[in-house]
Amino acid sequence: MSGFLQQLINGLSIGSVYALMAVGYSLVYSIMNFSNFAHGGVIMIGSYIGFFAMTAFKMPFATAFCTAALGTGLLAVLIERIAYSPLRKRNAPFLYFIISAMGVSIFLENIIIASPIGPTFRTYPRVFGAEPFVVAGVNIGRLDVMMFVISTLSLIILVFIIEKTRTGMGIRASAYNLRASALMGVNTDRIILIVFGLGGLLAGIAGVLFGMKYTVYPQIGNITLKSFIAAVFGGLGSLPGAVIGSILLGIIETFTSGYLSSQFRDLIAFVLLIFILVVRPRGLMGKITEEKA
Amino acid sequence: MKLLQLKNVTKQFGGLMAVDNVSFDVERGSIFGLIGPNGAGKTTIFNLITGIYKVTEGEILFEGIETNSMQPYRVAELGITRTFQNIRLFKKLTTYENILTACHYNVRYGLVDAVLRNKRFKAEEKGLLAHAEELMNIMGLEDRRDVIAGNLPYGLQRRLEIARALALRPKLLLLDEPAAGMNPDETARLMTLIKEIRDRFNLTVLVIEHHMDLIMGVCERIVVLNFGKKLAEGTAGEVQANPKVIEAYLGEEEVVVC
Amino acid sequence: MDWFYIKGILILSGINLMAVLGLSLLTGFTGLFSFGHAGFMAIGAYVTAMGTVKLGLPFAAALLLGAAGAALASFFIGRITLNLKGDYFCIATLGFGEAIRLILDNVQYFGGARGWPNLPRSTNFTIVVILNIIGIIILANLINSRHGRNFKAIREEELASQTIGINVFRYKMTALMISAAYAGVAGGLLGHYLGFLQPKMFQFIKSTELTITVIFGGLGSISGSVIGALVLTSLPELLRTFAIWRLVVYGAAVVFIMISRPQGLMGGYEIPVGKIFKKLFSRFAYGKKQAVGGGKQ
Repeated sequence: MSGFLQQLINGLSIGSVYALMAVGYSLVYSIMNFSNFAHGGVIMIGSYIGFFAMTAFKMPFATAFCTAALGTGLLAVLIERIAYSPLRKRNAPFLYFIISAMGVSIFLENIIIASPIGPTFRTYPRVFGAEPFVVAGVNIGRLDVMMFVISTLSLIILVFIIEKTRTGMGIRASAYNLRASALMGVNTDRIILIVFGLGGLLAGIAGVLFGMKYTVYPQIGNITLKSFIAAVFGGLGSLPGAVIGSILLGIIETFTSGYLSSQFRDLIAFVLLIFILVVRPRGLMGKITEEKA
Repeated sequence: MKLLQLKNVTKQFGGLMAVDNVSFDVERGSIFGLIGPNGAGKTTIFNLITGIYKVTEGEILFEGIETNSMQPYRVAELGITRTFQNIRLFKKLTTYENILTACHYNVRYGLVDAVLRNKRFKAEEKGLLAHAEELMNIMGLEDRRDVIAGNLPYGLQRRLEIARALALRPKLLLLDEPAAGMNPDETARLMTLIKEIRDRFNLTVLVIEHHMDLIMGVCERIVVLNFGKKLAEGTAGEVQANPKVIEAYLGEEEVVVC
Repeated sequence: MDWFYIKGILILSGINLMAVLGLSLLTGFTGLFSFGHAGFMAIGAYVTAMGTVKLGLPFAAALLLGAAGAALASFFIGRITLNLKGDYFCIATLGFGEAIRLILDNVQYFGGARGWPNLPRSTNFTIVVILNIIGIIILANLINSRHGRNFKAIREEELASQTIGINVFRYKMTALMISAAYAGVAGGLLGHYLGFLQPKMFQFIKSTELTITVIFGGLGSISGSVIGALVLTSLPELLRTFAIWRLVVYGAAVVFIMISRPQGLMGGYEIPVGKIFKKLFSRFAYGKKQAVGGGKQ
């Protein structure tokens, strides 16, 4: 029983970080209808910024954390300007966006490898202390708790921005219909930048948390593919879907590696992806889109 | 002889009754009109006949065969084809290629024949090329043979879409607002064209149109739809004299047209 | 730079070209985008290796078996995913590609993640060239037939294709299976060129590379695909001195191409190889006649 709870908590904590990443995929998808595969690269960069801020620049955790988030927020906006906005102006088909995103992702990953930083694995300094909380005989890692708390707080702030602010209304309107929103006077260009900025901020946070939980290395972006799967699972374009999909995926993964075999952990994510696409392609909570004849 | 029969056809989208218990028969060789205000369910009926949508209730018979559960390509093989309200050409292919592609249905050579370029392939392909050329000439598109379809002027795009439909050698041709965006002169020419192709290819034509001149000028029989329901049916004269139609449709239409 | 080195690069280009030709049919002509073709390459590679090593088949037969294996896998994948809308199909193929790799990681019979060493090195320059020529001819003949026109019609306008009687699902399936077979042959050639196989060779990034090559060459152009595969495989090899920076340049170049020349090198046009040959030949023949006649026109 305590083993079960242990797994559940691990799953929740990793799922909440997936959620931070998945929301970034879903935000962009909801407005621009393409899968932004550069997001993984942005998360990776966030992980590095946080790492070097703490080690090389000796910043306290909170400052390093904010630096990473701001850095990736800016990076995401920059990527939009360079790699997507020219395509947007031309009404290019979604595939060109995806390929462009892949290009960015290849670029980011390899520029880290080629730079003095290199391909080495790096470990974050310990911030939250080593000994776990013990609740009812279950060990709960301090880091796991912090991951869950920080992720949840970030997501609540995001929801507040989207639901309660004027900008958020613009985002929701644009997600519903980008062209109509533009015609109704929403500055969609600005909205798109904000969406990328928000996604980038969350990517930085996720990158730091992910780096603390595991290690930092240039191919970290590949693992974030799983958060993309979580976004598809929940329904691309839906924020609650992304969160629920991520939590579920986190839990399913930890249970698979806990009770079956850790080798199946990665496989289960892709099997789940295919399963959901076949059974319910719009995911758990995605919007239905139908072509009119 | 009845070519197409709709029997109590209903189509529901969620809570919306797009087509509500509509029945009518189309005589072989006739030109049949389908009119009604926007949102009356005309295009939905086309989508039902061509198998793009599945009927919720009722049945559609073509030459006595029920087509309800058929895939669109199967319906096309039976001899029903159509044009679209918002023209759907193969935009990056040329005029000639558009027609040639649609001719495919008249030959049977397989993938292996194509790869080997054998006798059968050559003979059948030759037939296709000739058929496409012929259609292009009939439809007066020969001087635009190698123009990319997306670059054709609007009127010719509509004409090409009809040509592409004719390439199937259909029995029933559905035209969805063929005169949309045309000036009166072009509309008049289109009327002649519709009659011509009907006679020349032994076609039955079912046409949706907002241009009353065209509908009243060419259609032998007309069905009027409103809010998914059949309001009236008859010849042009009968429909025009029907007080229900005048009230629900023609009166309203006059306002819109002005 | 000796001939041996150049030959090596050309063989690799040829192997990539094989996979790219198949993908060109699927993506360039039928309009379906796949991010899982590395998975089909993997299946082809492992089935071919099984043919030569475990079953003792001749290389050609094993390659055919590999192609058939990949096509069969694509059939099952197509059955459940081809009805999905564009980008979802794309994501589904990504899932399948990765799933195939992760399964291979766990199949100890094939060496698992550590890989499968000591395969016979049967792939040579001649075989690659011959297979590519056959591959190009088959593809070109297919494209210039009613079937090829139907593929293009589906790419242009799916709904209209149905209403002119094209069985869209069947044609998509055909394109998928043929493209998977090409990828399977490419995989078989690769394993027997390198002499070993590892699931890692068929990662998601490999699928991306193939799609990028097709787009770089120009969607809907066979000659574009040929040039694309040659350039994009050999360029990084020739820039070996760049070593670690070449992938950085590659990534930036991909973005640059997308924003500056999205129609690719050939933009849907073909180099008229047939006409050029005829012209060369007729000029040659004409020249001879002149020589015999000995006079000017």
